[in-house]
Amino acid sequence: MTVIAAPTSDLRSSQARAGYLFAFPALALYFVFVLAPVVVTVILSFAYYDPQLGSHWVGLDNFKRFFFDFRSKQIFWNTLRFTLFAVTGNVSVGLLLALALNRAMPGWLLYFFRLAFFLPVIIAAAFVSIVWGYFYQDNGIFNYYLRTLDLPAVHWLTSAANAMPSIVFMDVWKNTGFFMIIFIAALQGVPRTIMEAAIMDGTSPWRRFWRITLPWISPVVFFAIVYASIGALQVYESIYILTKGGPGDATRSMSINIVEEAFGSFQIGYGASVAVVMTLVILVITGVQLVISRRLVRY
Amino acid sequence: MAMQTKAATRWIDRAIIAVMAVLGIFMLLPFAWLISMSFRSVADAYKMPPSFIPPNLDFTNYLAVWKSSVPFLQIYMNSVEIAVIVTVGQLITCTLAAFAFSRLQWKGRDTLFFVLLVGLMFPAQVTILPIYLGFAKVGLINKPIGLALMYLTSSFGVFLMRQFMHSQPKALEEAALMDGAGYFKIFWRISLPQLRPALSALGIITFTQTWNYYFQAKVLLGPQDAMTLPLAMDILRGYLGQGNLAVVMAAMSMAVLPVILLFLLAQKFVIEGVTMSGIRG
Repeated sequence: MTVIAAPTSDLRSSQARAGYLFAFPALALYFVFVLAPVVVTVILSFAYYDPQLGSHWVGLDNFKRFFFDFRSKQIFWNTLRFTLFAVTGNVSVGLLLALALNRAMPGWLLYFFRLAFFLPVIIAAAFVSIVWGYFYQDNGIFNYYLRTLDLPAVHWLTSAANAMPSIVFMDVWKNTGFFMIIFIAALQGVPRTIMEAAIMDGTSPWRRFWRITLPWISPVVFFAIVYASIGALQVYESIYILTKGGPGDATRSMSINIVEEAFGSFQIGYGASVAVVMTLVILVITGVQLVISRRLVRY
Repeated sequence: MAMQTKAATRWIDRAIIAVMAVLGIFMLLPFAWLISMSFRSVADAYKMPPSFIPPNLDFTNYLAVWKSSVPFLQIYMNSVEIAVIVTVGQLITCTLAAFAFSRLQWKGRDTLFFVLLVGLMFPAQVTILPIYLGFAKVGLINKPIGLALMYLTSSFGVFLMRQFMHSQPKALEEAALMDGAGYFKIFWRISLPQLRPALSALGIITFTQTWNYYFQAKVLLGPQDAMTLPLAMDILRGYLGQGNLAVVMAAMSMAVLPVILLFLLAQKFVIEGVTMSGIRG
């Protein structure tokens, strides 16, 4: 028996045992409720699934239908369009709000601002969508105020052209506070010395923003864009509650489509293929962000 | 000259804060409307102009929600049950795993951590169909506990706790190990107390998120007595009909109450949790 070596190797193996034990609950649940279902979804996306009458492989048929079917193309496009507008709105408004609030003010005022801009973030989209649904109604609150101003009423949700912008507007109201908060934290990291030197040199605020602030916080901006995109691509309840995907298919998103196909028409395989496409878009966006943020080096 | 610019900056600061204050009030208007609407009489529900300050403190509409044919108490308890189980579950599984990933040396650790992080990119949409099919086989469809099971751990939670643990000194734990303390004792007595701020942040974020789930709940929970509050609001809206807008808003006020209370009491932790999750990547 190697008396001297024993304690360390004992320690090491008992540490390894403890490591597996401590990590086991999380890892086991993760495999059962995330990894395995993802793999099964990918398998389902190549199949026609029918537990009663028998399932069979369909190869790429589900994906072909997704990319060539007129309706699916519109739904895909709706989702991308929503994502583009919602991400742009949320991130840019969030950044503007953060720049506006990034100055000295009394504590109670800061508390109020955080409350006002962050409260919508933590309230369920399902709840606020119902409230906004009443605001947007043809005889709702927005049109009431338009009428009192002698302006024509607007079909906020009942016209195919307006529905999507109305939903995006609500989404920005709801989520921009999240981005404001992370941008405020990032702005506090911008070194004062550089900023003060630029002010001494008489650099304009506009130039200071583009040359110092934005490059400094650019990793956070990229993170925000990716985070916002992953969320926006999954958009479900705000659209479902406000328009049910209508008028026509004007606002139908991929998530709404998945539920309708899988549980309305029992096309589980097709629903799975839509979910796989959504995940691939997320992976691509995340990958692009990783590549870009490696190249962007803070000075 | 310098004095003048300083005075000018101060006025610009004030102007910006004034504009932001107006914006901030606008942000809160939907909530003000929702609360004041819940106190309007049913007959006045659709009367214009809308009010943003409660006209009285008459709780008739609140009573109407409880007395309606929608099993509101059952639905409320479902939401509470799911949110509590998920929050407690995540606090346990995520801190245990974070301890293993941050403090212990074991084979495959870094690979498994990476595999766990990949989970951040998978939306519920790509996991829900097999979970639905599996739950159907074992009788967990239309059971609130099923939804809770799905979220007993989270990649985000493990990541958040591990990041926080990494920022804490290891010395105490190492000393305890040298003294021959067991790993669980070290975790329980030394690591866990240091994690308190991170635990509050994760707990609040998880509770809120779970309270708000809609897509997953929509797929897994069909009948009214299995529903959670976000699902039920949409049903109530149609069920109680057009004239009872005030009653729907009373139900909504009760549904958002826990989250608003949590936020008012623990704003600091919520905000810290968000920034921690966002920035310390």
